[in-house]
Amino acid sequence: MEPPENSDASGGAVAFEDAQKIILRWDSTASEEARERMIFEGDREEVDLYLKAVDDIQKSMSSTSISDDQDKVNSATIQIAMARLEDEFRNILLNHTTPVELNSLAAADPSSSVHSSAADEYEEDDHVGDEDIQDQIQRADSSASNGNTSYRSTSSIREIDLIPQEAVADLQSIAKRMISAGYLRECIQVYGSVRKSVVDANFKRLGIEKLSIGDIQRLEWDALETKIRRWIRAAKVCIRILFASEKRLCEQIFDGIGTAVDDACFMETVKGPAIQLFNFAEAISISRRSPEKMFKILDLHDALMDLVPDIEVVFESKSADSFRVQAAEILSRLAEAARGILSEFENAVLREPSLVPVPGGTIHPLTRYVMNYISLISDYKQTLIELILSKPSTGSRYSGDSTTPDMEFAELEGKTPLALHLIWIIVILQFNLDGKSKHYKDVSLAHLFMMNNVHYIVQKVKGSPELREMIGDDYLRKLTGKFRQAATSYQRATWVRVLYCLRDEGLHVSGSFSSGVSRSALRERFKTFNAMFEEVHRTQATWLVPDNQLREELRISISEKLIPAYRSFLGRFRSHIESGKHPENYMKYSVEDLESDVLDFFEGYAVSQHMRRRSQ
Amino acid sequence: MPATDQQASFLGRISIRRNQVISVDGNNDQELEDLELFQKHVADRFADLLSPPEEVASTEPLLSISWLRKLVDVFLCCEAEFKAVLIMCREHSQICKPPLDRLIPELMDRAVKALDICNAVSSGVDSVRQCQKFAEIAVSALEQKPMDDGQVKRARKALNSLLTAMTIDDKENRDFKGAERTRSFGRRGNTNSANKERAVGNFRSLSMIVAKNWSASKQIQAMSSNLVAPRGGEPTGLALPVYIMSSVMVFVMWALVAAMPCQERSGLATHFQIPRQLTWAHSMIGLQEKIGEEWKKKEKKGSVGLLEEMQKMEKLALSLIEFADGFQFPGDTEKMEEVASQVAELAEICGKMEEGLVPLQTQIREVFHRIVRSRAEILEVLEHAAKISQPTT
Repeated sequence: MEPPENSDASGGAVAFEDAQKIILRWDSTASEEARERMIFEGDREEVDLYLKAVDDIQKSMSSTSISDDQDKVNSATIQIAMARLEDEFRNILLNHTTPVELNSLAAADPSSSVHSSAADEYEEDDHVGDEDIQDQIQRADSSASNGNTSYRSTSSIREIDLIPQEAVADLQSIAKRMISAGYLRECIQVYGSVRKSVVDANFKRLGIEKLSIGDIQRLEWDALETKIRRWIRAAKVCIRILFASEKRLCEQIFDGIGTAVDDACFMETVKGPAIQLFNFAEAISISRRSPEKMFKILDLHDALMDLVPDIEVVFESKSADSFRVQAAEILSRLAEAARGILSEFENAVLREPSLVPVPGGTIHPLTRYVMNYISLISDYKQTLIELILSKPSTGSRYSGDSTTPDMEFAELEGKTPLALHLIWIIVILQFNLDGKSKHYKDVSLAHLFMMNNVHYIVQKVKGSPELREMIGDDYLRKLTGKFRQAATSYQRATWVRVLYCLRDEGLHVSGSFSSGVSRSALRERFKTFNAMFEEVHRTQATWLVPDNQLREELRISISEKLIPAYRSFLGRFRSHIESGKHPENYMKYSVEDLESDVLDFFEGYAVSQHMRRRSQ
Repeated sequence: MPATDQQASFLGRISIRRNQVISVDGNNDQELEDLELFQKHVADRFADLLSPPEEVASTEPLLSISWLRKLVDVFLCCEAEFKAVLIMCREHSQICKPPLDRLIPELMDRAVKALDICNAVSSGVDSVRQCQKFAEIAVSALEQKPMDDGQVKRARKALNSLLTAMTIDDKENRDFKGAERTRSFGRRGNTNSANKERAVGNFRSLSMIVAKNWSASKQIQAMSSNLVAPRGGEPTGLALPVYIMSSVMVFVMWALVAAMPCQERSGLATHFQIPRQLTWAHSMIGLQEKIGEEWKKKEKKGSVGLLEEMQKMEKLALSLIEFADGFQFPGDTEKMEEVASQVAELAEICGKMEEGLVPLQTQIREVFHRIVRSRAEILEVLEHAAKISQPTT
C-alpha cells in the first residue's frame, strides 16, 4: 500500500492523533489483545489502516512545524510501530516456511541428465521413492505455495516462488516503511534470521552431510564416491534453484531500495549452506592423491565447471566475492589433483613391484587394470585434454638410467599431451611387464607372456575408438609388431630344439644315401624327440593364451612347422625303425597324434584333464 | 601490507647475520645455521607479540583484532621459513627414516586439523560480525540527539539481542530446534525469550558449518597430544624444526579458537603445554599463560570468546542496557555524558570490527591456502623419497 501523497495541514493534526491511537492500540508490550492477534493475518482493512497510520506518523515527523514534545512522542510512537512491524514481518515470513520438494525438482531438472558418462545420476539411494515423478511435481506445485509455482528458465537457472505474491507484497510494504524510518538494520536482521533457517532446512534435505576436512581424509574412497555423486546432484539444485530463488525473493521484497540491501539479505540467508557446499568440494580437492580417485575427481571438476556460469550469476555481488573466488580455487585444485593423479598412476605402473609370475603366462592383472584405466581416461578425453598440458617426463636415451624406459617424441609430432601420456603409459607398462617376464624360469614362457599381454593391449586399443585415435595407428602397428615378434621368439625358443631332432644331417654315414643310416643315431633322435615333445606338450598345455584367435593362430603356426617336418621325417626313416626291435618305443607318435596333441597347447589345463575331457 | 613488512625486516636480519658468520666447510653447517636462524626468528616474532614496543602496545592489545592479524602474519612468516628449511634439506631420504617417518605424517595430520579450525574460526568471525550489527543498531539509536524514549527502547532491544547472542551456549545452540515455529504470542511480552529465539537464528549458522559432534577443543587436544620435543643435545636434523613449526601451528590455532566463537571449547586452557626449558618458546609460553588465565576466568560464563573487542563490547552493552532500563527523558546530564562516551567507545569498536574482521578472514583464508600448499608439497616429497628407496622390478 503506497503512503498517501499530501494531506492538508488542517486535517493533519487529527490524522496524526488517529494514527497514534492505532499504533498504540497495537503495541504488544501494552495490551493483551495486541499480543494475541497479528494484523497481517486479519482483515485487509486493518492492515491498510495500520500502514496508513505509520505513514501519517512518518510524514508528521518530517514536517517542520513540530515542537520538541511532539518530536519526542513521534519518536516513541515510531519505535512502537517499528517494533510491531518487525514482528509482523517476522510472522509473515514464518508463515511461509514450507520446505520445497527439492528432490522432485532435481529429478525434473533437464540439465541434470547431461552427463551420461557419469551415468549413475539416479540410483536407488536417491530420495526419489516409488511414486511417479509426475506425482511428486504435482505435490511440489501445491505445497510450495498457493498453487503458484512458476518456472522461469534462464539458461539453467530456475527460480521458483518460495513465497506467494500477496505475502511478498505485504513484506515489501513493511520493508519500505521500516527502511524509510531508519530501521534498515532491524529489517535485514529479521529477514536473515528467518530465511536462514528455511534455507538450512531445505539444504539439509538435499542430503549433504556436515563433514570436516579431517573426516573426509579418513573416509574410504568408496564412501566418498557416493557422497560426491550426491553432492553433484545437490549442488545443481542448490545453486540453480534454491539459491537463485532466494536471491530473487530478496530482490522482490527489497525492490527499489537499492541492491546493497537485497545483496546483504541474500548473503545472510545462504552463506551457511553455501560455505558448507563449497567446503565439501574443497576438501575433496585437497585429499591425498591415488589413481582410483581420478574419475570421480573429474566428475566433480566437470560438474563444478558446469555450474560456474550459474555461480557467477547467483553470487554476483561484491559481498559474495569469496564464493566465486573459492569456486575458481577449487576448480584449479581439482585440475591439479587430476594432473597429480595421472603422474601418480604413471609412477605406480612403472614401479609396480609384484614379482610372482602369473601362472601359465597369461594376462597380468596389471595389464588389465592399466588398459581399463586408460580406456576410461579416453572416455574423459574432453575434460582431460584441457587439463593435461605438459608432456610426460620420460627417461632419456642417454641417461643410462635403466630403471626407466625412454620414448622419443620426434616420431610423435602433433599429438596432444594427453595422447603422449597414454602412449607413455603403454610404454612403461610394457617395460614393467618385460621385467616381470624375466622371472619365468622358462624363457619360452617369458615370450608367451609378453605376446599375450601386448596382444591384449592392442585389442583394448582397437576396441576403443577414442583411445585408438589418440594412440594412433603408427604406434599401434609398432605394438602389433611387438607381439608378433614375441610369438616368433617363443616359437624359436621352444621348437628349434625340437625340430632339431628331425634334421637330416648326422643320420647318414659314409655319404651313402639309402643304406647308410645309423640306426642308433636314429633311435636317439626319436627318443629325444619323443621326450622333448612330451615334456613340451605336458608343460605347455598348462600355459594359457586367452585370446581364441591368437591361440588358434599360434597353434596353426606351430603345426605348420612341426607336422610337415615330422611327416617327412617319419616318411624317410620309419622303415629303418620298423625293421628293428620295439619300433613302438621309438615311433611313439603318429602324425595324427601330434596334430591332436597340438590342440592341447595353451588351453591352461593339465594334459590328464584333457584326456578326461576327451573321453567324455 | 603487514606480511611483507615483517618479512622484509626479518629477511634484512638474515642477511646481516649471514655476513657475520664465519663460513665453515660442509653443507651441514649451512643447514645448522638455517635451523638456528629459524629458531631465533620464531623467538623474536613471539617476543614481539608478547611485549610489543610502547607505541604499538596501546593500539594492539592482546587478542584484539589487530593483534590477531599480527599473530596470523607471524604464522605465515614462520611457515614460509619452515618450508624453506624442510624442502631445501639435502637429505630427503631422511624423511623416510625414524624419527621423521613418524613426525612428518603427524605434522600432516595436524595440518588437516588446522584447516578445519581455520574454517571454524572464519565462521566464528561471521558470528562476531552479527554481534557488530546489533551493536551498530544500538549505537545509531543512542547517537540521536536529543535522546528520547523511542530510540532508547530501540537501543535496548538491540542490546538485548546482542547480549543474548553473546551468551548463547554451544550446547543450547545445538539442542535448539526450530523454535520459531512453535512460538506462541502469549510469550510475546517476554522480550528476553523472543530475542533469544531471534539471536539463535544467527548462531545457528555456527553449527551449520561444523558437524554436531565436532569440538574445537578436542581438535586442539588431538593436535597437541603427540607433540613431543625431540630429546638430547645431539643434532636432531629436521625433527627440531618440525617440532617448532608444529608448536607454532598449535599455538596459533589455539589462540584463534580462544578468541573467536567456536563450537565446543570446554577445557581449552589445559589443552596445550610447551616444555618450559625451550629457549625459543619463552614468549610463546608467556602468551599461552596469559591467554590461558583469561580463558579460565571467562570459561564459566559460556563466553563468546576472548576477542578483546567482544569483551569490551559485552561490558559496554551491559552498562548501556542498565542505563536504558532506567532511562527517563531527558536524563541526568552527567549520566548522559557518561553514556555518550560509552556509545562513542562502542562506535569505535564497531569501527574496528568493520575495518578489521574481513581482512582477518582473508588472512585466515591465506593460512588455509598456505597449509594446503605446503601439505601437498611435503606429501610429494614423501612420495618421491619413498619411490627412490623402493626397489624396482
